[in-house]
Amino acid sequence: MSEMPAPRMIEAFEHAAGSVARGVPGGAAGFRGELLHIHVAPAASYEMEALAEAECVAGRGIVGDRYFDGTGTYSPKPDTREVTLIEQEALDALARNDPPLQGGPIRLDPADHRRNLTVRGVPLNHLVGRRFRVGAVILRGGRLNFPCKYLEELLGLPVYLPLYNRSGLNCGIEVGGIIRPGDVIELLETP
Amino acid sequence: MTARLIMKLEVVAAEPTTPDVLRVVFRHPQRPELPEWTPGAHVDLRLPDGKVRQYSLCGDPADRARYTVAIKREAGGRGGSLWAHANLAEGGLAHVSAPRNNFPLAEGTRHILVAGGIGITPFVSMARSLAASGADFALHFCARSAAEAPLLDALRAVCGDRLHLWLSGEGRRLDPALIGPPAPGTHLYACGPQRLVDAVQARADADGWAPDHVHIERFAATLDENYKPEPFDARIASTGEVLHVPADRSLLEVLRENGFPVASSCEIGTCGTCECGYRNGTVIHRDHALPLAKRQDRMMPCVSRARVALTLDL
Repeated sequence: MSEMPAPRMIEAFEHAAGSVARGVPGGAAGFRGELLHIHVAPAASYEMEALAEAECVAGRGIVGDRYFDGTGTYSPKPDTREVTLIEQEALDALARNDPPLQGGPIRLDPADHRRNLTVRGVPLNHLVGRRFRVGAVILRGGRLNFPCKYLEELLGLPVYLPLYNRSGLNCGIEVGGIIRPGDVIELLETP
Repeated sequence: MTARLIMKLEVVAAEPTTPDVLRVVFRHPQRPELPEWTPGAHVDLRLPDGKVRQYSLCGDPADRARYTVAIKREAGGRGGSLWAHANLAEGGLAHVSAPRNNFPLAEGTRHILVAGGIGITPFVSMARSLAASGADFALHFCARSAAEAPLLDALRAVCGDRLHLWLSGEGRRLDPALIGPPAPGTHLYACGPQRLVDAVQARADADGWAPDHVHIERFAATLDENYKPEPFDARIASTGEVLHVPADRSLLEVLRENGFPVASSCEIGTCGTCECGYRNGTVIHRDHALPLAKRQDRMMPCVSRARVALTLDL
Protein backbone atom coordinates (compact mmCIF):
# COMPACT_ATOMS: atom_id res chain seq x y z
CA MET A 1 0.00 0.00 0.00
CA SER A 2 1.48 3.35 -0.88
CA GLU A 3 1.71 6.31 1.42
CA MET A 4 -1.30 8.59 1.44
CA PRO A 5 -0.95 12.37 1.58
CA ALA A 6 -1.52 14.05 4.96
CA PRO A 7 -5.19 14.71 5.78
CA ARG A 8 -6.69 17.83 4.27
CA MET A 9 -9.77 18.66 6.28
CA ILE A 10 -12.30 21.34 5.49
CA GLU A 11 -13.55 23.02 8.65
CA ALA A 12 -17.16 21.93 9.16
CA PHE A 13 -18.72 25.39 9.02
CA GLU A 14 -16.65 26.27 5.95
CA HIS A 15 -17.92 23.23 4.06
CA ALA A 16 -20.21 24.07 1.14
CA ALA A 17 -23.12 22.41 2.96
CA GLY A 18 -22.35 23.37 6.56
CA SER A 19 -21.74 27.03 5.77
CA VAL A 20 -25.17 27.40 4.14
CA ALA A 21 -27.05 25.38 6.77
CA ARG A 22 -25.49 27.44 9.53
CA GLY A 23 -27.23 30.58 8.33
CA VAL A 24 -30.66 28.96 8.06
CA PRO A 25 -32.89 28.68 11.11
CA GLY A 26 -34.45 25.36 12.08
CA GLY A 27 -33.24 21.98 13.17
CA ALA A 28 -34.15 19.82 16.11
CA ALA A 29 -33.66 21.04 19.65
CA GLY A 30 -34.24 19.42 23.01
CA PHE A 31 -33.09 15.93 22.13
CA ARG A 32 -30.91 13.99 24.53
CA GLY A 33 -29.19 11.16 22.68
CA GLU A 34 -26.59 8.60 23.59
CA LEU A 35 -23.30 7.44 22.14
CA LEU A 36 -23.62 3.66 21.69
CA HIS A 37 -20.38 2.60 19.99
CA ILE A 38 -17.02 4.00 18.90
CA HIS A 39 -15.21 2.39 15.96
CA VAL A 40 -11.97 3.23 14.18
CA ALA A 41 -9.97 1.56 11.40
CA PRO A 42 -6.20 1.93 11.01
CA ALA A 43 -6.34 2.33 7.21
CA ALA A 44 -8.58 2.07 4.16
CA SER A 45 -10.36 -1.31 3.91
CA TYR A 46 -9.24 -2.44 7.36
CA GLU A 47 -12.00 -3.81 9.50
CA MET A 48 -13.32 -1.36 12.09
CA GLU A 49 -12.35 -1.99 15.72
CA ALA A 50 -14.49 -1.07 18.73
CA LEU A 51 -13.03 1.26 21.35
CA ALA A 52 -14.09 1.63 24.98
CA GLU A 53 -12.88 5.22 24.84
CA ALA A 54 -11.39 7.43 22.19
CA GLU A 55 -9.43 10.65 22.00
CA CYS A 56 -10.86 13.32 19.69
CA VAL A 57 -8.41 15.95 18.44
CA ALA A 58 -9.82 19.28 17.28
CA GLY A 59 -9.30 19.91 13.58
CA ARG A 60 -8.03 16.42 12.93
CA GLY A 61 -10.04 13.38 14.02
CA ILE A 62 -10.10 10.37 16.32
CA VAL A 63 -6.69 9.07 17.34
CA GLY A 64 -6.12 5.71 15.63
CA ASP A 65 -8.58 6.28 12.81
CA ARG A 66 -7.67 6.30 9.13
CA TYR A 67 -8.95 9.85 8.66
CA PHE A 68 -6.84 11.05 11.59
CA ASP A 69 -3.81 9.42 9.98
CA GLY A 70 -4.65 10.39 6.40
CA THR A 71 -4.78 6.75 5.27
CA GLY A 72 -8.51 6.56 4.48
CA THR A 73 -9.97 5.76 1.09
CA TYR A 74 -11.03 9.38 0.65
CA SER A 75 -8.19 11.04 2.57
CA PRO A 76 -6.68 12.57 -0.58
CA LYS A 77 -9.91 14.51 -1.17
CA PRO A 78 -10.23 17.64 1.00
CA ASP A 79 -13.47 17.27 2.96
CA THR A 80 -15.04 17.33 6.41
CA ARG A 81 -14.56 13.87 7.87
CA GLU A 82 -12.84 14.24 11.23
CA VAL A 83 -15.63 12.21 12.82
CA THR A 84 -18.53 10.42 11.15
CA LEU A 85 -21.76 9.44 12.90
CA ILE A 86 -24.72 7.24 12.02
CA GLU A 87 -28.05 6.69 13.73
CA GLN A 88 -28.81 3.31 15.28
CA GLU A 89 -32.38 4.04 14.12
CA ALA A 90 -31.18 3.95 10.47
CA LEU A 91 -29.54 0.58 11.06
CA ASP A 92 -32.73 -0.67 12.70
CA ALA A 93 -34.70 0.45 9.63
CA LEU A 94 -32.35 -1.50 7.34
CA ALA A 95 -32.79 -4.54 9.56
CA ARG A 96 -36.57 -4.40 9.07
CA ASN A 97 -36.28 -3.57 5.34
CA ASP A 98 -38.02 -0.24 5.78
CA PRO A 99 -38.64 1.20 3.21
CA PRO A 100 -38.44 -2.02 1.17
CA LEU A 101 -35.63 -0.90 -1.14
CA GLN A 102 -33.57 -4.02 -0.76
CA GLY A 103 -34.10 -7.74 -1.34
CA GLY A 104 -34.74 -8.29 2.35
CA PRO A 105 -33.60 -7.15 5.77
CA ILE A 106 -29.94 -6.08 5.93
CA ARG A 107 -28.13 -6.46 9.18
CA LEU A 108 -25.45 -3.80 9.39
CA ASP A 109 -23.54 -4.21 12.63
CA PRO A 110 -21.83 -1.23 14.27
CA ALA A 111 -18.46 -2.65 13.18
CA ASP A 112 -19.60 -2.84 9.55
CA HIS A 113 -21.01 0.55 8.56
CA ARG A 114 -17.59 2.26 8.79
CA ARG A 115 -18.84 5.41 10.53
CA ASN A 116 -16.99 6.21 13.76
CA LEU A 117 -19.87 6.77 16.15
CA THR A 118 -23.14 4.88 16.36
CA VAL A 119 -25.68 7.03 18.20
CA ARG A 120 -29.29 6.70 19.37
CA GLY A 121 -31.81 9.49 19.77
CA VAL A 122 -29.84 12.03 17.74
CA PRO A 123 -31.49 13.56 14.62
CA LEU A 124 -28.29 13.67 12.57
CA ASN A 125 -29.92 14.98 9.39
CA HIS A 126 -30.89 18.12 11.32
CA LEU A 127 -27.40 18.85 12.56
CA VAL A 128 -25.64 20.19 9.45
CA GLY A 129 -24.42 23.67 10.40
CA ARG A 130 -25.12 23.01 14.12
CA ARG A 131 -22.93 22.47 17.15
CA PHE A 132 -23.56 19.63 19.56
CA ARG A 133 -21.72 17.86 22.34
CA VAL A 134 -20.77 14.21 22.80
CA GLY A 135 -19.81 14.06 26.45
CA ALA A 136 -17.27 16.85 26.81
CA VAL A 137 -16.33 16.92 23.13
CA ILE A 138 -17.96 19.52 20.87
CA LEU A 139 -18.67 18.61 17.25
CA ARG A 140 -19.83 20.71 14.30
CA GLY A 141 -22.04 19.17 11.61
CA GLY A 142 -20.36 19.82 8.25
CA ARG A 143 -22.40 17.82 5.76
CA LEU A 144 -24.65 14.83 5.38
CA ASN A 145 -22.79 11.60 4.87
CA PHE A 146 -23.34 9.89 1.54
CA PRO A 147 -23.30 6.13 0.99
CA CYS A 148 -20.55 4.91 -1.30
CA LYS A 149 -20.15 2.00 -3.68
CA TYR A 150 -16.88 1.27 -1.94
CA LEU A 151 -18.81 0.27 1.19
CA GLU A 152 -21.03 -2.04 -0.85
CA GLU A 153 -17.99 -3.74 -2.30
CA LEU A 154 -16.31 -4.13 1.07
CA LEU A 155 -19.39 -5.59 2.68
CA GLY A 156 -20.72 -7.49 -0.30
CA LEU A 157 -24.12 -6.04 0.68
CA PRO A 158 -26.40 -3.79 -1.42
CA VAL A 159 -26.47 -0.91 1.10
CA TYR A 160 -26.06 2.02 -1.29
CA LEU A 161 -29.71 2.82 -1.94
CA PRO A 162 -30.98 1.72 1.50
CA LEU A 163 -28.53 4.10 3.20
CA TYR A 164 -29.34 7.03 0.94
CA ASN A 165 -30.33 10.09 3.04
CA ARG A 166 -29.75 8.26 6.32
CA SER A 167 -26.07 7.54 5.93
CA GLY A 168 -25.14 9.81 8.84
CA LEU A 169 -23.24 13.03 9.42
CA ASN A 170 -19.68 14.17 8.78
CA CYS A 171 -18.38 16.43 11.52
CA GLY A 172 -15.46 18.56 12.50
CA ILE A 173 -14.18 18.67 16.08
CA GLU A 174 -14.41 22.09 17.71
CA VAL A 175 -13.31 21.01 21.18
CA GLY A 176 -11.43 17.73 21.55
CA GLY A 177 -11.30 15.32 24.47
CA ILE A 178 -12.15 11.78 25.50
CA ILE A 179 -15.46 10.16 24.52
CA ARG A 180 -16.94 6.89 25.76
CA PRO A 181 -20.01 4.81 24.91
CA GLY A 182 -22.83 6.07 27.13
CA ASP A 183 -21.87 9.73 26.69
CA VAL A 184 -24.82 12.10 26.37
CA ILE A 185 -25.34 13.92 23.05
CA GLU A 186 -27.10 17.31 23.09
CA LEU A 187 -27.55 20.32 20.84
CA LEU A 188 -25.51 23.42 21.69
CA GLU A 189 -26.13 26.96 20.57
CA THR A 190 -24.63 27.89 17.24
CA PRO A 191 -23.32 31.44 17.41
CA MET B 1 -11.97 -2.57 -9.03
CA THR B 2 -13.34 -4.37 -6.07
CA ALA B 3 -12.52 -3.35 -2.56
CA ARG B 4 -11.91 -6.08 -0.05
CA LEU B 5 -12.18 -5.93 3.71
CA ILE B 6 -8.98 -6.47 5.66
CA MET B 7 -9.55 -8.38 8.89
CA LYS B 8 -7.40 -8.98 11.92
CA LEU B 9 -7.54 -12.78 12.18
CA GLU B 10 -6.28 -15.10 14.86
CA VAL B 11 -3.99 -18.02 14.07
CA VAL B 12 -5.60 -21.15 15.50
CA ALA B 13 -3.01 -23.57 14.11
CA ALA B 14 0.38 -23.25 12.43
CA GLU B 15 2.22 -26.47 11.72
CA PRO B 16 4.53 -27.78 9.01
CA THR B 17 2.96 -29.92 6.28
CA THR B 18 6.43 -30.50 4.75
CA PRO B 19 9.81 -29.40 6.14
CA ASP B 20 9.52 -25.98 4.46
CA VAL B 21 5.76 -25.48 4.07
CA LEU B 22 3.75 -24.07 6.97
CA ARG B 23 0.02 -24.76 7.07
CA VAL B 24 -1.76 -21.92 8.83
CA VAL B 25 -5.39 -21.88 9.96
CA PHE B 26 -7.10 -18.56 10.76
CA ARG B 27 -10.37 -17.64 12.42
CA HIS B 28 -12.03 -14.34 13.25
CA PRO B 29 -11.72 -13.45 16.93
CA GLN B 30 -15.25 -11.93 17.02
CA ARG B 31 -17.25 -13.23 14.07
CA PRO B 32 -18.40 -16.83 13.70
CA GLU B 33 -18.38 -16.59 9.90
CA LEU B 34 -15.72 -15.32 7.52
CA PRO B 35 -16.53 -13.93 4.05
CA GLU B 36 -17.46 -16.62 1.53
CA TRP B 37 -15.09 -17.97 -1.12
CA THR B 38 -15.02 -20.38 -4.02
CA PRO B 39 -12.36 -22.97 -4.98
CA GLY B 40 -9.24 -21.34 -6.44
CA ALA B 41 -9.61 -18.14 -4.36
CA HIS B 42 -6.75 -16.45 -2.51
CA VAL B 43 -6.43 -14.03 0.38
CA ASP B 44 -3.91 -11.24 0.88
CA LEU B 45 -1.66 -11.42 3.90
CA ARG B 46 -0.63 -7.90 4.96
CA LEU B 47 2.82 -7.73 6.48
CA PRO B 48 3.67 -5.17 9.16
CA ASP B 49 5.87 -3.25 6.70
CA GLY B 50 2.88 -2.72 4.40
CA LYS B 51 3.81 -5.39 1.86
CA VAL B 52 1.05 -7.67 0.62
CA ARG B 53 1.36 -11.34 -0.28
CA GLN B 54 -1.24 -13.59 -1.88
CA TYR B 55 -1.91 -17.13 -0.67
CA SER B 56 -4.48 -19.55 -2.08
CA LEU B 57 -7.05 -20.87 0.34
CA CYS B 58 -6.62 -24.62 0.63
CA GLY B 59 -9.31 -25.52 3.14
CA ASP B 60 -12.97 -26.29 2.58
CA PRO B 61 -15.20 -23.42 1.31
CA ALA B 62 -18.10 -24.93 3.28
CA ASP B 63 -16.21 -24.30 6.52
CA ARG B 64 -17.17 -20.64 7.00
CA ALA B 65 -15.37 -20.37 10.33
CA ARG B 66 -11.82 -20.87 9.10
CA TYR B 67 -9.34 -20.01 6.35
CA THR B 68 -6.41 -22.34 5.70
CA VAL B 69 -3.30 -21.39 3.71
CA ALA B 70 0.00 -23.14 3.07
CA ILE B 71 3.10 -20.95 2.94
CA LYS B 72 6.42 -22.13 1.57
CA ARG B 73 9.56 -20.68 3.06
CA GLU B 74 11.30 -18.95 0.15
CA ALA B 75 14.75 -17.93 1.31
CA GLY B 76 15.32 -16.07 -1.98
CA GLY B 77 11.81 -14.60 -2.09
CA ARG B 78 10.59 -11.09 -1.40
CA GLY B 79 10.48 -11.61 2.38
CA GLY B 80 6.80 -12.42 2.93
CA SER B 81 7.22 -16.13 3.52
CA LEU B 82 10.15 -15.64 5.91
CA TRP B 83 8.05 -13.22 7.95
CA ALA B 84 5.14 -15.67 7.97
CA HIS B 85 7.30 -18.62 9.06
CA ALA B 86 8.91 -16.58 11.81
CA ASN B 87 5.77 -14.87 13.11
CA LEU B 88 2.63 -16.90 12.47
CA ALA B 89 2.08 -19.03 15.54
CA GLU B 90 -0.99 -20.27 17.40
CA GLY B 91 -2.70 -17.41 19.21
CA GLY B 92 -1.02 -14.74 17.05
CA LEU B 93 -2.84 -12.14 14.94
CA ALA B 94 -2.39 -11.22 11.29
CA HIS B 95 -4.10 -8.91 8.82
CA VAL B 96 -5.82 -10.99 6.17
CA SER B 97 -8.08 -9.72 3.38
CA ALA B 98 -11.42 -11.10 2.30
CA PRO B 99 -10.91 -13.68 -0.49
CA ARG B 100 -10.86 -13.02 -4.21
CA ASN B 101 -10.87 -15.58 -6.99
CA ASN B 102 -8.72 -14.98 -10.08
CA PHE B 103 -8.41 -18.72 -10.74
CA PRO B 104 -11.93 -20.14 -10.66
CA LEU B 105 -13.03 -23.49 -12.02
CA ALA B 106 -14.50 -23.11 -15.50
CA GLU B 107 -17.81 -24.57 -16.63
CA GLY B 108 -16.67 -27.78 -18.26
CA THR B 109 -17.05 -31.54 -18.45
CA ARG B 110 -13.41 -32.49 -17.85
CA HIS B 111 -10.66 -30.72 -15.92
CA ILE B 112 -6.91 -31.35 -16.12
CA LEU B 113 -5.05 -29.77 -13.20
CA VAL B 114 -1.25 -29.46 -13.24
CA ALA B 115 0.54 -28.37 -10.07
CA GLY B 116 4.19 -27.98 -9.16
CA GLY B 117 5.29 -27.87 -5.52
CA ILE B 118 3.54 -25.16 -3.52
CA GLY B 119 1.47 -24.43 -6.66
CA ILE B 120 -0.77 -27.24 -5.41
CA THR B 121 -2.56 -24.92 -2.98
CA PRO B 122 -5.43 -23.64 -5.19
CA PHE B 123 -6.07 -27.17 -6.47
CA VAL B 124 -6.88 -28.65 -3.08
CA SER B 125 -10.25 -26.91 -2.85
CA MET B 126 -10.80 -27.25 -6.62
CA ALA B 127 -10.23 -31.01 -6.48
CA ARG B 128 -12.51 -31.30 -3.47
CA SER B 129 -15.25 -29.44 -5.31
CA LEU B 130 -14.80 -31.48 -8.51
CA ALA B 131 -14.80 -34.74 -6.56
CA ALA B 132 -17.92 -33.72 -4.64
CA SER B 133 -19.82 -32.94 -7.83
CA GLY B 134 -18.68 -36.16 -9.49
CA ALA B 135 -16.83 -34.25 -12.22
CA ASP B 136 -14.28 -35.89 -14.48
CA PHE B 137 -10.82 -34.63 -13.51
CA ALA B 138 -7.15 -35.52 -13.20
CA LEU B 139 -4.64 -33.81 -10.93
CA HIS B 140 -0.97 -33.99 -11.93
CA PHE B 141 1.22 -33.04 -8.98
CA CYS B 142 4.94 -32.52 -9.54
CA ALA B 143 7.30 -32.45 -6.55
CA ARG B 144 10.77 -33.58 -5.60
CA SER B 145 9.65 -36.29 -3.19
CA ALA B 146 6.52 -37.34 -1.33
CA ALA B 147 7.97 -35.82 1.86
CA GLU B 148 8.31 -32.47 0.07
CA ALA B 149 4.85 -32.55 -1.56
CA PRO B 150 2.63 -30.20 0.46
CA LEU B 151 -0.84 -31.33 1.60
CA LEU B 152 -0.32 -34.77 0.06
CA ASP B 153 -2.41 -36.71 2.57
CA ALA B 154 -5.43 -34.47 2.06
CA LEU B 155 -5.07 -34.74 -1.73
CA ARG B 156 -4.85 -38.51 -1.66
CA ALA B 157 -8.01 -38.67 0.40
CA VAL B 158 -9.88 -36.32 -1.94
CA CYS B 159 -8.61 -37.53 -5.31
CA GLY B 160 -7.90 -41.23 -4.93
CA ASP B 161 -6.58 -42.57 -8.23
CA ARG B 162 -7.28 -39.27 -9.98
CA LEU B 163 -4.08 -38.00 -8.34
CA HIS B 164 -0.97 -38.55 -10.47
CA LEU B 165 2.18 -37.93 -8.53
CA TRP B 166 5.33 -37.00 -10.46
CA LEU B 167 8.33 -37.19 -8.12
CA SER B 168 11.54 -36.04 -9.75
CA GLY B 169 13.60 -37.59 -6.92
CA GLU B 170 12.31 -40.97 -8.07
CA GLY B 171 13.00 -40.16 -11.70
CA ARG B 172 9.34 -39.63 -12.61
CA ARG B 173 8.75 -36.32 -14.36
CA LEU B 174 5.56 -35.11 -15.98
CA ASP B 175 5.70 -35.17 -19.77
CA PRO B 176 3.48 -32.26 -20.88
CA ALA B 177 2.50 -34.37 -23.90
CA LEU B 178 0.34 -36.35 -21.45
CA ILE B 179 -2.02 -33.39 -21.33
CA GLY B 180 -3.16 -34.34 -24.78
CA PRO B 181 -5.05 -32.40 -27.42
CA PRO B 182 -7.95 -30.07 -26.63
CA ALA B 183 -11.46 -31.49 -26.50
CA PRO B 184 -14.83 -29.78 -26.19
CA GLY B 185 -15.62 -29.04 -22.55
CA THR B 186 -12.09 -29.86 -21.35
CA HIS B 187 -10.23 -27.22 -19.34
CA LEU B 188 -6.56 -27.14 -18.45
CA TYR B 189 -5.20 -25.44 -15.33
CA ALA B 190 -1.61 -24.97 -14.20
CA CYS B 191 -0.02 -23.44 -11.13
CA GLY B 192 3.56 -23.73 -9.97
CA PRO B 193 7.11 -22.72 -10.85
CA GLN B 194 7.56 -20.57 -13.96
CA ARG B 195 9.33 -23.43 -15.77
CA LEU B 196 6.43 -25.80 -15.28
CA VAL B 197 3.64 -23.38 -16.22
CA ASP B 198 5.64 -22.22 -19.24
CA ALA B 199 6.04 -25.85 -20.37
CA VAL B 200 2.30 -26.46 -19.93
CA GLN B 201 1.42 -23.26 -21.78
CA ALA B 202 3.84 -24.08 -24.62
CA ARG B 203 2.41 -27.57 -24.98
CA ALA B 204 -1.15 -26.26 -24.95
CA ASP B 205 -0.27 -23.67 -27.60
CA ALA B 206 1.42 -26.29 -29.75
CA ASP B 207 -1.57 -28.62 -29.46
CA GLY B 208 -4.02 -25.88 -30.36
CA TRP B 209 -5.81 -25.35 -27.03
CA ALA B 210 -8.09 -22.29 -27.07
CA PRO B 211 -6.78 -19.54 -24.72
CA ASP B 212 -10.07 -19.49 -22.79
CA HIS B 213 -9.71 -23.18 -21.96
CA VAL B 214 -6.22 -22.80 -20.47
CA HIS B 215 -6.01 -21.26 -16.99
CA ILE B 216 -2.63 -20.34 -15.55
CA GLU B 217 -2.12 -18.99 -12.03
CA ARG B 218 1.14 -17.12 -11.61
CA PHE B 219 2.46 -16.18 -8.20
CA ALA B 220 5.20 -13.83 -9.35
CA ALA B 221 5.10 -10.99 -11.82
CA THR B 222 7.43 -11.55 -14.73
CA LEU B 223 9.63 -8.53 -15.14
CA ASP B 224 10.69 -7.57 -18.58
CA GLU B 225 14.20 -6.18 -18.20
CA ASN B 226 14.00 -4.53 -21.60
CA TYR B 227 10.84 -2.55 -20.96
CA LYS B 228 11.45 1.21 -20.81
CA PRO B 229 8.49 3.15 -19.41
CA GLU B 230 7.56 6.32 -21.30
CA PRO B 231 5.58 9.30 -20.00
CA PHE B 232 1.93 9.64 -21.07
CA ASP B 233 -1.24 11.62 -20.32
CA ALA B 234 -4.33 10.18 -18.70
CA ARG B 235 -7.62 12.00 -19.30
CA ILE B 236 -10.38 11.44 -16.72
CA ALA B 237 -13.63 10.85 -18.60
CA SER B 238 -15.94 12.24 -15.90
CA THR B 239 -14.13 15.51 -15.25
CA GLY B 240 -12.01 16.13 -18.34
CA GLU B 241 -8.92 16.52 -16.15
CA VAL B 242 -5.67 15.52 -17.82
CA LEU B 243 -3.04 13.97 -15.55
CA HIS B 244 0.54 13.62 -16.67
CA VAL B 245 2.21 10.31 -15.77
CA PRO B 246 6.01 10.69 -15.82
CA ALA B 247 8.17 7.75 -16.89
CA ASP B 248 9.22 7.00 -13.33
CA ARG B 249 5.71 7.00 -11.79
CA SER B 250 2.87 4.52 -12.10
CA LEU B 251 -0.58 5.55 -13.29
CA LEU B 252 -1.91 4.31 -9.95
CA GLU B 253 0.38 6.67 -8.00
CA VAL B 254 -0.59 9.65 -10.14
CA LEU B 255 -4.31 8.88 -9.76
CA ARG B 256 -3.98 8.68 -5.98
CA GLU B 257 -1.99 11.87 -5.79
CA ASN B 258 -4.78 13.66 -7.64
CA GLY B 259 -7.53 12.49 -5.36
CA PHE B 260 -8.83 9.46 -7.27
CA PRO B 261 -9.05 6.69 -4.70
CA VAL B 262 -8.16 3.44 -6.45
CA ALA B 263 -7.91 0.40 -4.20
CA SER B 264 -4.79 -1.67 -4.75
CA SER B 265 -3.06 -4.62 -3.22
CA CYS B 266 -0.06 -6.34 -4.81
CA GLU B 267 0.93 -3.39 -7.05
CA ILE B 268 2.87 -5.80 -9.26
CA GLY B 269 0.07 -6.69 -11.66
CA THR B 270 -0.96 -10.06 -10.28
CA CYS B 271 -3.88 -9.55 -7.91
CA GLY B 272 -6.36 -7.56 -10.01
CA THR B 273 -7.48 -5.17 -7.26
CA CYS B 274 -6.80 -1.88 -9.05
CA GLU B 275 -8.61 -2.81 -12.28
CA CYS B 276 -10.24 0.13 -14.04
CA GLY B 277 -11.81 0.87 -17.39
CA TYR B 278 -10.46 2.94 -20.25
CA ARG B 279 -12.03 4.26 -23.44
CA ASN B 280 -9.48 5.26 -25.96
CA GLY B 281 -5.75 5.14 -26.25
CA THR B 282 -3.26 2.35 -26.73
CA VAL B 283 -2.66 0.61 -23.44
CA ILE B 284 0.52 -1.31 -22.76
CA HIS B 285 -0.74 -4.16 -20.60
CA ARG B 286 1.96 -5.41 -18.25
CA ASP B 287 -0.15 -7.29 -15.71
CA HIS B 288 -0.87 -11.00 -15.27
CA ALA B 289 -4.38 -10.59 -13.95
CA LEU B 290 -6.59 -9.48 -16.86
CA PRO B 291 -7.73 -12.09 -19.36
CA LEU B 292 -7.13 -11.21 -22.99
CA ALA B 293 -10.82 -10.64 -23.66
CA LYS B 294 -11.00 -7.80 -21.10
CA ARG B 295 -7.90 -5.96 -22.22
CA GLN B 296 -9.66 -3.91 -24.87
CA ASP B 297 -11.37 -1.75 -22.23
CA ARG B 298 -9.95 -2.68 -18.81
CA MET B 299 -6.48 -2.19 -17.38
CA MET B 300 -4.39 -2.46 -14.20
CA PRO B 301 -2.99 1.01 -13.44
CA CYS B 302 -0.38 -0.35 -11.01
CA VAL B 303 1.85 -1.69 -13.80
CA SER B 304 0.14 -0.95 -17.12
CA ARG B 305 0.73 2.23 -19.07
CA ALA B 306 -0.29 3.88 -22.32
CA ARG B 307 1.30 5.07 -25.51
CA VAL B 308 1.11 8.90 -25.48
CA ALA B 309 -2.41 9.22 -24.02
CA LEU B 310 -5.55 7.42 -22.89
CA THR B 311 -8.96 8.22 -21.42
CA LEU B 312 -9.88 6.52 -18.14
CA ASP B 313 -13.45 5.62 -17.20
CA LEU B 314 -13.24 7.36 -13.85
